Amino acid sequence: MPITFACATSHAPGITAWADAAPAPQKDRIYGAFERLRRELDASATDTLIVLTSEHWTNFFLDHVGAFCIGRAERYSGPVEPWLQIARQEIKGDPALAAELLEACYDNGVEPSFAYELEFDHGTMLPLHFLMPRMERPVVPVFFNTLAAPQPSAGRALALGRIVGEVARRSPRRIGFVATGGLSHDPGERNHGIIDTDFDHRFMAAMADGNCAALGAYQRSEFAAAGAGAFELLSWIALAGALDGRKGEVIAYEAVKPWATGVGLMTFAHGLAA
Amino acid sequence: MSLYALQKLIRDVNRKPSCREAFFQSAETFAAGYDLAAPERDALLKRDVGTLYAMGVHGLLLRPFTLLHKMPEPDYLKAIRGD
Repeated sequence: MPITFACATSHAPGITAWADAAPAPQKDRIYGAFERLRRELDASATDTLIVLTSEHWTNFFLDHVGAFCIGRAERYSGPVEPWLQIARQEIKGDPALAAELLEACYDNGVEPSFAYELEFDHGTMLPLHFLMPRMERPVVPVFFNTLAAPQPSAGRALALGRIVGEVARRSPRRIGFVATGGLSHDPGERNHGIIDTDFDHRFMAAMADGNCAALGAYQRSEFAAAGAGAFELLSWIALAGALDGRKGEVIAYEAVKPWATGVGLMTFAHGLAA
Repeated sequence: MSLYALQKLIRDVNRKPSCREAFFQSAETFAAGYDLAAPERDALLKRDVGTLYAMGVHGLLLRPFTLLHKMPEPDYLKAIRGD
């Protein structure tokens, strides 16, 4: 079955936690774009979502850092942040699909770690809150180490994405993808509040073109220059790999100063499975 | 220096309610349970955010830690930028 749904979104916590700090026109365009993605997801009759995501020292610490981690839990909970303005809730997992992803990865030269117990922070909960407010579909989270150097390379994220995309395509089930993180931002760091709109537009243009060669060639130094949070775009690159060059559309981009983030939302719904 | 132990302490305070309570009861006693170098312990106990950042504490550990201390964002940024 072809992939039934795919999108990429930022997950800046200010989007919900201090939503009205943003200028109303910016907030409205971003909320409108999330609403469009929610409608596309509902119309796609997707059974289960693979969420390509990152976290913020919630589950993982320096006692054990892996490049990628696939969740194989029966259920997850989140958000861990009581201040996010999103109610804490349970989200169903899909351990059978997680096992398929892991086996495919290990058979094809990429060896993610895996976990039977994970909590979600804003990085995963914020997009799910907008896209699937009733949390009616199971999810398989795929976490990328975006915090502790060395982060996985863009080429490696692309390779992982290609493998999980192939699993989704050969599944009889209706599988969708959400990639989340970025764009330029430097949370808690020296350049907090600085947004590199040139970087953001260049990156989204490559995503819109499905230009896997350009995306896989991004260097750690380029992400670092756009702020520590730009490493989260590894998940977007994995999505490009999963979609194998499919073109996408930027449906919103705003450099939101009060959220200290270049906030982008893209859809890849055009031409996906009916 | 033992940046790992310092970051571990801060992460424990951020993430574990029992650690948070113990830290705010007595930071000195709580810190004794971690293998900190003297300058690290000193910076921690003084809540010297600029020094903690310069020592290499990750921003996504340090900023939540300062939020527990109700430190406003402009003050935090001023401290880590050394303004």
